[in-house]
Amino acid sequence: MAQASPQKQPEQPEYISIKYDLPRPYHWSTGKYLGKLYAEAKENKKLVADRCPKCKELHLHAPTPVCPKCKVDMGWDWAEMPLTGTVFQYTYQVYPLFDPHLGKVFADPHPPAIILLDNGVYMRHRLEETDTKKLKEGMRVQAVWEEDYERRGQGFQDILYFRKIEE
Amino acid sequence: MAHRTAIVGVGQTHHASRRKDVSLAEMVGEAVRAALADAQLNVKDIDAFIFSNMEAFEGILLPDHGMIAEVGAVGKPGFKVTGGGTTGSEAVGEGCHMISSGLYDVVMVVSWQKHDCGDATAGISAAAVPTFAKGLVTGAVSEFAKQALSYMKDSGAREEHAAMIRLKADRGACRNPYSHLKIGLTSVDEVLKSPYLVWPIRLYDFCPQSSGACVVILASEKSAKKMHQKPVWVADFEVVHQEPFRAGSFGDPTGTETYSQHVACERLYKRNGITDVRKQVDLAEIYEPSTWEEISLYEHLYFCEKNEGWKLVERGATEIEGEFPVNCSGGVLATNPIGATPVLRIAESALQIRGDAGEHQATRDIKSAVATALGGPNWTALFLLKRSL
Repeated sequence: MAQASPQKQPEQPEYISIKYDLPRPYHWSTGKYLGKLYAEAKENKKLVADRCPKCKELHLHAPTPVCPKCKVDMGWDWAEMPLTGTVFQYTYQVYPLFDPHLGKVFADPHPPAIILLDNGVYMRHRLEETDTKKLKEGMRVQAVWEEDYERRGQGFQDILYFRKIEE
Repeated sequence: MAHRTAIVGVGQTHHASRRKDVSLAEMVGEAVRAALADAQLNVKDIDAFIFSNMEAFEGILLPDHGMIAEVGAVGKPGFKVTGGGTTGSEAVGEGCHMISSGLYDVVMVVSWQKHDCGDATAGISAAAVPTFAKGLVTGAVSEFAKQALSYMKDSGAREEHAAMIRLKADRGACRNPYSHLKIGLTSVDEVLKSPYLVWPIRLYDFCPQSSGACVVILASEKSAKKMHQKPVWVADFEVVHQEPFRAGSFGDPTGTETYSQHVACERLYKRNGITDVRKQVDLAEIYEPSTWEEISLYEHLYFCEKNEGWKLVERGATEIEGEFPVNCSGGVLATNPIGATPVLRIAESALQIRGDAGEHQATRDIKSAVATALGGPNWTALFLLKRSL
């Protein structure tokens, strides 16, 4: 598709490529605020957000020590989020992308979505339904948790996806 | 600003997917030499250097390693800037600060990205903060897909309008000897046949990952007036921060209404007495990662009323021969070496103001231009450039 700049592209480029494959054991601290979200998800299968003492806005993505708008310390006021909501918007990945964590090209079959939780907080997650013809905005959905305690501890990823519900 | 800053030299490489024929240092050196030739300066005339590049996108740490000698910066003062999409604008802004402080006379901004060594989308999506962002984003494409959906719903624009933007970009790119993607598109239908990456963003709706470099030489008013090259003045600039994923906090769940863009525009336009951008400014080089983002930006940068961006596209107002040309160079849709992308916007605007853009020179006389950038944690950068102050 792309026409390379002809001035700069030799017809048969010769170069040496080096391949290597090493495990990379990283550790990442959640910190106090995001750690609260992680702990509630792992221990109690609860989704929590912190609330600004001044403007009262809830911060789910991610819990923050300082309100971005009011620029004041958030304190330690936590609210439990409802686990049901409506699909505000969704999209779906068609073309796979390279994921360095997996070391391979991967297309997540679960459509990424913005879900309006029943208390008015927007949440970014993914949907269970992979048949895009069955998706529609305004669809009622519910969070599906990872039931294996040992496998939880991944924060937002402790929720596997949102499943369509009939009401 | 205490001391006025002028752009006295610009240079860029030919941009391509792969530049396997050169090392990072050699590629950047091409742009440095081009800018010095444009300014008719020797590298010894440069007082300080600023390096502009997005680390991780080349898959290595400190890609400036091994480059300092090639650039001629050994023993000179300087900084390195790494700020996501707006990296290049921040770097040029930093150069303006250095000159307006009165401490430096001539500053070179060296910007590049060599995407044949790495993968920016992998850097963005999979190397995103693992504790709260991983798994919820598919690079930048998914974010722009969300914006496109919201925009279509709110404004009544159709996919044809996005296709028109790609046609415009491609026409510009085919006229620009340095641009990366020169597809040679002739119709809207051709664009609409390209496959989806993340619905509703098609392959042709999105920017490429380019390898290339761009260099801008800045000088103080006193020095600029002694130099050969016609100066282009940095009349004003603004860089505004925002938090990502909190777009919802500002009353907009999909990030369509970027808070930082409104704040940046309000400040810059107010300071410069701009009330009608299309009448008071002659041209824009905007940072449009997707076709849909270009249409949205027309509105967010106040080039037109809300939900009317697609109407500007429909009547060709922003074409090279239009009343308010936007991205005559082919823009980011054609050429995207990320660390250099905002610097290219500024360099291309300067060429337009000088009348030196060659085949992609706008039809009308360009005396002033707005050059923008977006990226990182929803940051917005705006530059106002003028032929005379």
